[in-house]
Amino acid sequence: MEIGLLQHFRNFLGDEGIITDVDLIAPHLKEWRDRYFGNTPFMLAPNSTEQVQKIVKFCAQNHLKLVSQGGNTGLVGGQIPMGEILLSLHRLNKIREINPLDDCIIAEAGVILENLQNAAAQNNRRFPLMLASQGSATIGGLISTNAGGVHVRKFGMMRQLVLGLEVVLPNGEIYSELSALRKDNTGYDLKQLFIGAEGTLGVITAASLKISARPKYSVNAMLGLENAQMAVECLHALEEQTAAITAFEIMNKQALQFGIKNLGARNPLTELHNFTALVEFEGAFPDLPEHIEDALSTLIEAGKINDATIAQNEAQANSFWHLREGMSAAQKPEGRAAKHDVSVPISKIPSFLDQAEAAAKNIVNGARIVAFGHISDGNIHYDVARPENMPDDEFQNFIKDINHAVNDVVVSLGGSISAEHGIGIARKDEFCAREPKAHLELMKALKAVIDPQNILNSRNLFS
Amino acid sequence: MKILVPVKRVIDYNVKVRVKTDETGVDLANVKMSMNPFCEIAVEEAVRLKEKGIATEVVAVSIGVTPAQETLRTALAMGADRAILLTTDVDPEPLAVAKLLKAVFEEEKPDAVIMGKQAIDGDNNATGQMLAALLDLPQATFASEVVVEGGKAKVTREVDGGLQTLEVALPAIITVDLRLNEPRFASLPNIMKAKKKPIDIKEASAYGVDLAPHLKVTKVTEPPKRSAGIKVESVGELVAKLKDAGVI
Ligand SMILES: Cc1cc2nc3c(=O)[nH]c(=O)nc-3n(C[C@H](O)[C@H](O)[C@H](O)COP(=O)(O)OP(=O)(O)OC[C@H]3O[C@@H](n4cnc5c(N)ncnc54)[C@H](O)[C@@H]3O)c2cc1C
Ligand SMILES: Cc1cc2nc3c(=O)[nH]c(=O)nc-3n(C[C@H](O)[C@H](O)[C@H](O)COP(=O)(O)OP(=O)(O)OC[C@H]3O[C@@H](n4cnc5c(N)ncnc54)[C@H](O)[C@@H]3O)c2cc1C
Repeated sequence: MEIGLLQHFRNFLGDEGIITDVDLIAPHLKEWRDRYFGNTPFMLAPNSTEQVQKIVKFCAQNHLKLVSQGGNTGLVGGQIPMGEILLSLHRLNKIREINPLDDCIIAEAGVILENLQNAAAQNNRRFPLMLASQGSATIGGLISTNAGGVHVRKFGMMRQLVLGLEVVLPNGEIYSELSALRKDNTGYDLKQLFIGAEGTLGVITAASLKISARPKYSVNAMLGLENAQMAVECLHALEEQTAAITAFEIMNKQALQFGIKNLGARNPLTELHNFTALVEFEGAFPDLPEHIEDALSTLIEAGKINDATIAQNEAQANSFWHLREGMSAAQKPEGRAAKHDVSVPISKIPSFLDQAEAAAKNIVNGARIVAFGHISDGNIHYDVARPENMPDDEFQNFIKDINHAVNDVVVSLGGSISAEHGIGIARKDEFCAREPKAHLELMKALKAVIDPQNILNSRNLFS
Repeated sequence: MKILVPVKRVIDYNVKVRVKTDETGVDLANVKMSMNPFCEIAVEEAVRLKEKGIATEVVAVSIGVTPAQETLRTALAMGADRAILLTTDVDPEPLAVAKLLKAVFEEEKPDAVIMGKQAIDGDNNATGQMLAALLDLPQATFASEVVVEGGKAKVTREVDGGLQTLEVALPAIITVDLRLNEPRFASLPNIMKAKKKPIDIKEASAYGVDLAPHLKVTKVTEPPKRSAGIKVESVGELVAKLKDAGVI
């Protein structure tokens, strides 16, 4: 059967479309944070929508399970096969069309985000989604996880940037509406089903996406803040005064310390503050820096900000972002951590940080709290790193309890236990235990109607 | 001790440079401009000398278009005391710049000129040397360490094959290399203070220096495009790709 199966796929995918060499497959089986190691009989790498259709149709007819993968940067294990056939979309990497006057770009699922951003820029437009994995993450993966990143307050999550989709359904049929329309109220908005579905309802092969005007001027500032409440107040004060905020990221002291130590970065401020914020402003007029300088100095004089610095050139701006975007990498040398990607209403961020810290330290005294993220949309990456002198194995035993305790705090504050990374495999238990029964049943009913044989990403979301 | 620091406004080092479609030069419309990175190192070194109590005044000088004031403001925010801008709309060549700096030197009578070894736009690496020659002063170029003591500067230079240490009597011209220091971030309080520091703006033409260019750029083109590379994730993949390419 195996040989016949391989031959069958080879017949229509060609040698490049089917990979059996274990060394070539290996990088696709390991998750970025080394938390999941998968296995697969072979990897399929189609280069057209028709090839994807043929693959899925054949798998549906033969009860073969597939796991879709784009850039393999997902953080919840959803793209890692455990015995299923791995369907990599990386060869679907064409930008099909750019229509600056429609503010629309049509890209295939395997296009890497950075390449899309560059293609938009070459047309004097911009695609605003921005996240640290943009050099690898693909359009298909970003849509399937409804990725967020640093520009969500101003531009929304991936969902708000998708105008239309082309999706191969689990029976091999196609849903295709690569629309450039902002307004289209004809029946159910089916594309929404596939956005954030983590590959469970179809294989995304292409998307039409919103592009917009490129900012002419930008200013990047680092702020030293006394506490989280100040950070929230500062966000609103600056927005009120400048109407130009496009990103407002924070790092707590521990996060910044790990960054300085493990990334070899410099603290842009002369002292370590309890919280450091990285704020990006954009505008169309050359006097933007002056407005920002005035707004920030007013806040310093009012005692709302301890200190601030403004990047004088792109190299300095890049060094601010390097620090912020290196937050995951900076934690690796510090050993095991219980990681959370949560959101709460912005006003609740200070209470969340206080309560979660108490809850985590109640379980592991001496745990090191690394909190950073996108507070302008309420999203905190809340990582509880093991105490310096505790072995990883010992700390491992506490992770589930910490997850549970932190999530209890999140839920009690009206928050979400997965703000932008999704559920995948990693958060399945917590998700299924906490989601209202009626919601879960509706989701399962949808899955059963659209993928009755359960062939696509069958271990994601719920078991 | 007074230090004069020339600074130049150039296309930001991190901006992807685009050639104008008519191939007459680099497209500067709506492009981020910043202080030449080598000039930034020179300002930093001068300010550090002041912080050590060795220098008493740091004067930044720029020659260029009116918006070069922003570049001077950055120098002031880093710690320079005051600034001079000689405005001109032509993009002067190194010799004209050196002659103008000579005139400023004669007005200001500093004890040292600390400047970048080159600007990243023209990459000429000439102005400092020309200035030293015009003033008939000692020069120490490509500095990676500067120690000022007793009217002299001990300058470690990065030369082919190693380091060379020179001692020059002041006043002297010192041009700086990348490894000399890491320039500071400008704090907001210092950015605000810089707004109150004086910038003396004069017409460059008033100095009687011939600013007209002696070189004519006939054509600017992009370097040939490299075909896209790929990233391999393992030795196995590398070997397979090399085999595919018929290299091994
Ligand atoms: C350093 C780092 C920083 C990150 N920062 C952020 C951040 O700021 N915000 C944020 O939201 N996320 C962030 N992420 C995670 C983010 O989810 C991924 O970067 C991205 O969205 C996944 O894209 P991908 O192409 O790598 O997908 P993969 O990891 O390959 O897949 C992710 C999921 O989508 C499914 N999938 C992939 N392609 C398709 C397709 N064509 N059709 C159907 N299903 C598909 C997979 O099966 C899997 O379930 C970060 C990750 C890293 C490593
Ligand atoms: C002068 C004028 C100008 C307009 N301009 C615009 C415009 O610029 N843009 C635009 O989009 N539309 C416009 N509309 C139309 C627009 O659709 C309606 O104004 C509005 O969206 C309907 O709201 P309603 O409460 O009147 O709903 P209704 O007219 O009562 O109902 C509309 C539909 O919604 C359903 N519905 C109503 N309430 C509920 C509920 N609680 N739960 C489930 N279903 C419900 C109804 O069964 C019906 O199918 C305009 C209409 C008029 C008269």
